Amino acid sequence: MSMTTSAQIILAVMVATYIIAKALKVSTELSMLAAALAGALAGGAGIPARHIVEGAFTYLDIILIFITATLFMNILKESGGVAHVIRGILRKFHRKKSILFILITLLLLLPGALTGAGSVTVLITGGMIAVVLGYMDISKPRAAAIIFILAGLSAAAPPVSLWAMLTAAGVNMPYVGFFLPLLLPCLLLSLLVIFILGWKGKPVNLEKALKELPEAPPQMNWIRITLPFCVFLFLVLAGRIWPHSLPIVGLPMMFMASACVSLLLSPVKLNFLRISRETVHQLLPLIGTLTCVGILVQIMTLTGVRGLIAITIVTLPLIAVFLTLSIVLPASEAVLMWGAAPVLGVPLVLLFNTIGLNPIIALAGMSIIWPLGDALPPTAIIGRLTVHTVGMKGRYSQLLKHCLIPAIIIIIVGTLMVVFSKKLAFLTLL
Amino acid sequence: MIMTILYYILTGYIAFLIIWNLLKSKKWQEEALYIIILIPFILRLFRLK
Repeated sequence: MSMTTSAQIILAVMVATYIIAKALKVSTELSMLAAALAGALAGGAGIPARHIVEGAFTYLDIILIFITATLFMNILKESGGVAHVIRGILRKFHRKKSILFILITLLLLLPGALTGAGSVTVLITGGMIAVVLGYMDISKPRAAAIIFILAGLSAAAPPVSLWAMLTAAGVNMPYVGFFLPLLLPCLLLSLLVIFILGWKGKPVNLEKALKELPEAPPQMNWIRITLPFCVFLFLVLAGRIWPHSLPIVGLPMMFMASACVSLLLSPVKLNFLRISRETVHQLLPLIGTLTCVGILVQIMTLTGVRGLIAITIVTLPLIAVFLTLSIVLPASEAVLMWGAAPVLGVPLVLLFNTIGLNPIIALAGMSIIWPLGDALPPTAIIGRLTVHTVGMKGRYSQLLKHCLIPAIIIIIVGTLMVVFSKKLAFLTLL
Repeated sequence: MIMTILYYILTGYIAFLIIWNLLKSKKWQEEALYIIILIPFILRLFRLK
């Protein structure tokens, strides 16, 4: 049997196992693990403990960033900081729709940009922003669409963009030069989406909105909120200004330092242990996905399946690759979640690099398309979470309907970034 | 050296949280997932990898 046929059979076994596991209502993470184990068995590797451990370690650094950043955001929320910011903005700008939309966009982008997870945006600021949008007479499905799309773009926004990080790690490319190529499209598209979906919104009924929003502790102020962010910024900049005098702190420890400052400055007494436990529980599906994807990719590499996928993609006609990005990327995200980045992203970036496109811009373009798949079945994790958080009643398809136009715009922008990546290379500042 | 120690403490704290949540969990799929995500933390903590 040729190596290609062997890899094809193993891939078929893995896909079949995944489908069966999903049909048996096993979670996506465990289904991926089952597919990996079945692939190893089919490939004659048995249960390869060394490769399972190796794979589980692949994204440990990203998992640490994930946990510490979300812990920081959760402490900020529990201390009343987020409520204070939203109430403050609302009081000042409730009559100025445009400014309110711009500030809402920034509030929705920040948690996801720092943590790399759209779910954190939905959980930290999504619920409160939904209340504000509701009092602007924006329907629940429309508000859910705004929050979902912005949560997705926030996850793709820098400094932490998991799709870009996972793919870059897969092709041994440093995660450098991504800041502007990710920030500009994410920011501009977010503003465009909120203005398109919310343009019919009326000025907020301030009294009613404030009544429904959670109260912030009276002692909460802007210094208590901004100081932890200043600490984070200082640590990031200090490492660059004095690279030889300071130890390498790393993003997880920077977020921990900010979390500790936020905890110390909180006007209310917080139970750090409880918040930490809830953070780990809240992130379980995401950490589980990263760990299981690491194992899956390791087994795919061991059995030759990853090579098969890479060769197939690299040998496709280029025009077919460009035209199908809009379908393949969201669909792969819907099935594999972040696993799509190392499995499909890596060969695609290698292909783009080989034909002379700029891999950083191309990857940034793909990174803004991927999150759209988070609303699609079978996983639809962020989509379902948004519907639940916003309190949207009715059919799930209502959310998808309102997401359609923004999704088309995002896909066009992302694809154009890939196609014209060479001309946009100046954005990397390299 | 200090940063390494701090990272070991962080890894240990997260491992402790995962074990705590694992013991409190009542759903088998959650339990299985907690055990899987615990692997790298425990191995790193005991300096086995």
